[in-house]
Amino acid sequence: MKEPQKFNRREVLGKGLSLGLLVGGAVILGKTDFLLGQGPSASLPDLVAVKNGEPDALFKKAIDLLGGMRRFVKKGQTVVVKPNIGFPRVPEVGATTHPLLVKTIIESCYAAGAGKVYVFDNVVTPTAGNARNCYRLSGIDEAARAARGIVVPVDDFSYREVRIPGGKKLKTADVHGLILDCDVFINVPVLKHHSSAHLSIAMKNLMGIVKNRMEYHLVGLDQCIADFCLYRKPDLNVVDAYRVLMSQGPAGPSNPHFADVQIKKTLLVSQDIVAVDAAAARIFGKDPEDIGYIKIGHAQKSGNMNLKDLKIVTYAM
Amino acid sequence: MTLITFRKVLSGLFFLLFLMLFAGGERLSAILSGILPPFQFVPALLRTLAQPAALFAAGLIGIVVLTLIFGRVYCSFLCPLGALQDLLIAASRKIGLRPRHAYRPPNNLLRYAILAVAAGALVAGFQSAVSLLDPFAWWGRLVTDFVLPLLTGSYNLAILAGKPFDLYLHPRQTPFITPPALALSAAFLALIVYLALTRGRLYCNTVCPVGAFLGLLARFSLFRFAAEKNACTECARCAEVCKAGCIDPQNAAIDMSRCVACFNCLDACARTTIRYRPQIPAVRFEDWSPARRRVVLGGFAGGLALTLASFAGLRQMLRIPSAKAQTPVTPPGSGNLARFTSRCCACSLCVAACPTAVLAPSFADYGTGALLQPKLNYEQSYCDYECNVCGRVCPTGAIADLALAEKKLIAIGEAKLLEDICVVYVNKTNCGACGEVCPTHAMRFEDRENILYPEVDQRYCIGCGACQLACPTTPRSIVVEPHKTHKRAEKYPEPARRPAPPPTASGDDFPF
Repeated sequence: MKEPQKFNRREVLGKGLSLGLLVGGAVILGKTDFLLGQGPSASLPDLVAVKNGEPDALFKKAIDLLGGMRRFVKKGQTVVVKPNIGFPRVPEVGATTHPLLVKTIIESCYAAGAGKVYVFDNVVTPTAGNARNCYRLSGIDEAARAARGIVVPVDDFSYREVRIPGGKKLKTADVHGLILDCDVFINVPVLKHHSSAHLSIAMKNLMGIVKNRMEYHLVGLDQCIADFCLYRKPDLNVVDAYRVLMSQGPAGPSNPHFADVQIKKTLLVSQDIVAVDAAAARIFGKDPEDIGYIKIGHAQKSGNMNLKDLKIVTYAM
Repeated sequence: MTLITFRKVLSGLFFLLFLMLFAGGERLSAILSGILPPFQFVPALLRTLAQPAALFAAGLIGIVVLTLIFGRVYCSFLCPLGALQDLLIAASRKIGLRPRHAYRPPNNLLRYAILAVAAGALVAGFQSAVSLLDPFAWWGRLVTDFVLPLLTGSYNLAILAGKPFDLYLHPRQTPFITPPALALSAAFLALIVYLALTRGRLYCNTVCPVGAFLGLLARFSLFRFAAEKNACTECARCAEVCKAGCIDPQNAAIDMSRCVACFNCLDACARTTIRYRPQIPAVRFEDWSPARRRVVLGGFAGGLALTLASFAGLRQMLRIPSAKAQTPVTPPGSGNLARFTSRCCACSLCVAACPTAVLAPSFADYGTGALLQPKLNYEQSYCDYECNVCGRVCPTGAIADLALAEKKLIAIGEAKLLEDICVVYVNKTNCGACGEVCPTHAMRFEDRENILYPEVDQRYCIGCGACQLACPTTPRSIVVEPHKTHKRAEKYPEPARRPAPPPTASGDDFPF
């Protein structure tokens, strides 16, 4: 038996034509937002900062104020959530993203209709034993699985080389296939001190999706971090500033008792990776002007570090 | 159950356990290493000589007593290399290759000469002779060099196959075996396969010093195999199944010093004239022969050597200074170079268990007296700060079993920064790869005009090699130099904790 035809030719032509007109017109007029089922863009903030809550409550509030998860994740889409799992540390050290935040984001993606949600980070010193320790100790492995996230360990075979358009020092990068093939890329860094980049936030967190991260160190860390944003920026950045490691970063001490941590209970979300780093630097207590890669990222037009020009919504619980 | 079935079941079980000891992953290795090596002759002997650990001493005595009662059952039940040869022999019989064994006269000169050399080498701390002859060490190296890479390789391939179905597992690290060490293992593998297929247990009866030593004891064992001379028809069926080639059917004589107690002859004998039961060894004076004199001489020499071996001072005095000027970094817990190289039997168990695969067999890096002993291979990997597996599994105590907190302070070497090639000093750009990975805060950074220059604070450096592995320059700008005698690093002072701010210390304001 043949499947009954769902559309006849005329209907398809007609619908296609009107849809094309609609989309094309919207793009020409620069008003694409209504296509996404959102209100006028004027009402949506560029950056949302929320404080004084637990990581799950912070995220729910923040994403609400940014227009809801459905703005970023559509039905059936493949999502990659990229936390910082770089070091074999327990969450209390503040060197890795809060596991509850990762769990909440995955749940939120599935609630918005995501087909698959992957969780991945290319750990520093990617030997097999160390990678396993990082995933386990950070609590992210368990938390992500609890939310039906697909936890992807590090291997050597999943990277593909891409060209960085306009990269000054970073010309090519070996990027993890998950990032290249996904529909939505959500960057979930933790805000922390970094011994050689001053701070590690959203832009720095992208070193965890490339294989040739040591090349960054070799040819110039700040420039390479900024250059990568010319290739791909995440669709959403969620900065975890709940527990902030104030010194001895990026690894922090292995004993959480000695970790120089400040409980700030803060969360930042934005689509603008430079803006979110600038705002996070302020939360840390540093001037974004002093952070090399933020300045370069702004100059290369990957985002806007001038927070005064942006529409920022803040909320204290 | 016949004795043969009993032997097959038990040796099969031990074979699998010994396989898992080396190829079962770090956790299983750590558990099994507390159970199995005390009952392996050479590791137990080495451990007992250096530090009479109760279990190891008991194991050693156990092996001697067992042999004095039952003969060389050790060789058929407990020795993994023996079981490997039995499997090879059984397989070759199955496919019709070399189905029959035959009596061969003993080569006493060779076998006791080798025993004397091994014992003498043990005294002199010349471990190569021990590790190149010891069946346990060879078993360990064969599994580590061939079976383990095969297992981890196929495991990692299987992981790849699961990826399209969203099944993800952490890959496993394959140990890095240096080519000369691998070549040596391959040569031995070829030799043992050839000998097993063509000459049965010849290795055990002529080369293996453990076999030779236990053979001396087995001459006087309580339980013995003996053929009733009058009932024997000289059909030679027993000799055809005797892997040790120790049954002389013409004279109905069974050489207990070479018999590995496999019990095959009991079933083969049509008239059941061969019996295995307690018997008083009939020593007849007309039996005295030059060969026997050599046996006694060899036994005496071996015994003396073993006695002397227990005097550590003498071993120290007689040690052949053979190590090269620049030796590799030795594992944490090995104390100092001399202590380590004189106790290690090069069984590669630490190499197999090391989760970061930083341990690799050396070749002649420690000199000819300590071939194949493990070293830290910092070009491939680094020593994990949170790990002390090598000490936990080491069967001889060459790597002491340090508590993790203690191991974290043992400096096995120190990192040397080469400022003439370090990118920060040369290019004046930030790098800091070494500082990111340093587990002890030995890497300090001095801020000069917003450039962070690395420095090594030797007080805290334990020489783990994480910085060397992370360093992006070629050649590396930071390298670990070994401490021939390990040192104790200072504990990094705890940072003064800031007073915990109240939950809403900064109020409801944002700094933007």
